Amino acid sequence: MVDRILAMVLAGGKGERLYPLTQDRAKPAVPFGGIYRIIDFTLSNCLNSGIRRINLLTQYKSLSLNRHIFQGWNIFNPQLDEFVNLIPAQQRVGEDWYLGTADAIYQNIYVLQQDRPDLILILSGDHIYKMNYREMIAYHLEKNADLTVAVIEMDKGLSRQFGVLQVDEEFRIIGFEEKPGEPKTIPGYTDLILANMGVYIFNTEILARRVIEDAKEPGSQHDFGKNVIPAMVGQDRVFAYSFRDENRKQAKYWRDIGTLDAYYEASMDLVAVDPLFNLYDSNWPIRTYYPSLPPAKTVFEEYGSNRVGASYSSIVSSGCIISGGKVYRSILSPNVRIHSYSEVRDSILMEGVEVGRGARINRAIIDKRIRIPAGYQIGFNPEEDAKKFTVPPSGIVVLSKGTMLA
Amino acid sequence: MEKVLCIDDDLSLLRLYQEELAEEGYKVVLAKDGKEGLAKFEKEKPHVVVMDIRMPVMDGIEALTAMLGKDRQIPVILNTAYPQYKENFMTWGAEAYVVKSSDLTELKQKIREVLDKRKKGGRP
Repeated sequence: MVDRILAMVLAGGKGERLYPLTQDRAKPAVPFGGIYRIIDFTLSNCLNSGIRRINLLTQYKSLSLNRHIFQGWNIFNPQLDEFVNLIPAQQRVGEDWYLGTADAIYQNIYVLQQDRPDLILILSGDHIYKMNYREMIAYHLEKNADLTVAVIEMDKGLSRQFGVLQVDEEFRIIGFEEKPGEPKTIPGYTDLILANMGVYIFNTEILARRVIEDAKEPGSQHDFGKNVIPAMVGQDRVFAYSFRDENRKQAKYWRDIGTLDAYYEASMDLVAVDPLFNLYDSNWPIRTYYPSLPPAKTVFEEYGSNRVGASYSSIVSSGCIISGGKVYRSILSPNVRIHSYSEVRDSILMEGVEVGRGARINRAIIDKRIRIPAGYQIGFNPEEDAKKFTVPPSGIVVLSKGTMLA
Repeated sequence: MEKVLCIDDDLSLLRLYQEELAEEGYKVVLAKDGKEGLAKFEKEKPHVVVMDIRMPVMDGIEALTAMLGKDRQIPVILNTAYPQYKENFMTWGAEAYVVKSSDLTELKQKIREVLDKRKKGGRP
């Protein structure tokens, strides 16, 4: 097994369709599952795969991401040549921000030059899945590939959302189309396609050569999926690796939480009796920054007056106090306060949210530290909500950071 | 008239470039190190750059990177006595390599090739 592996995590995603959750933070820094940030899943995959040399390429609203990495991921030992480095877009090559995924590597080519690893693992910082990258590396070496692309089987009907790969019997990639309407299916299947997961293993020299070529190509969007990989298919040894899911459920789990509705759904899945995505598997721990906080607590059980502090089918993080109010099928991040006679249903409350006396919240995402005044109602009057807040197609209500309610 | 920027700290070589390339019909601009080369690159907007790698003040690799940052399509021909630089992928952004020689035949050929390719607008 080669050991010189360097992970380059593209963590500059704006996440425009997640707005307003991305109003003040990059997509990888968006909180998920009460105590995590989206980036934690990719970094935990690295850690669980024994990959401890990681460069995180950031550019957009990276403050909260930087803080999270310093607080939660400062765990590597530089004496053993382990690191997680934050590399902001330095505009070292030219004055541009990263123009595309391949450009992010091109602009940091000096990092590869210094380090000269044998293999580069390129990852995206905004996907949620569990994967052992070592198995993919073993496959890459076995195939003697120049590039290996991780793929997941998807229903043909979803082809417009993904890069779709066409493979031969050996799983060598022979075609690559970005979001096609009429996709090529997996050999032997009429209804399944192979979708690009944005996980790549490159031989370092090939990577350097191809991104440099791409950088000089007029009209290129400097994107791996759109430009670099299609140009490599046919001239290099490019293979597809079928994603083996460490989540070990019936269907493979990999999510690009691209929209507010997808975010809401993936979050609500976590409080189901048997969630699709298992956070509780001790064989695949998900690491995060978790401050030292007192335990969650519920108080009051005055059943006669209905002043009861309780939570049902919910995730309740440390530091929360549910004081005389009720919480159903919701996710409470740390330090949330629920006051008496209030009710929260099917909602995501981020850190430090306070729900006032008698307030009612239904199907909402409430960003950090927003105070819901006593008696206030959210999620009961679609027209009123749409005037004041963000309401995506599914009708959930999203309150952005800094929202002040009288 | 096609403009060639030649960058080298060997002044006798610069004189040779001036003479022979002018004879070929190019307008020749000279610079004696990477820093001066970069300044002239911005001011003169050459069609092609011929550059040494080992130079004082600013070496050719740094100057190459900076030039590509200003114009990703600029063809740079590295002209060096050390062929092992070909292994250094910081230099792979260059269009071509020519091993240094007082006989400029190969260099002239490369300049012509590079300029013709660029006219056609094809992939380098």
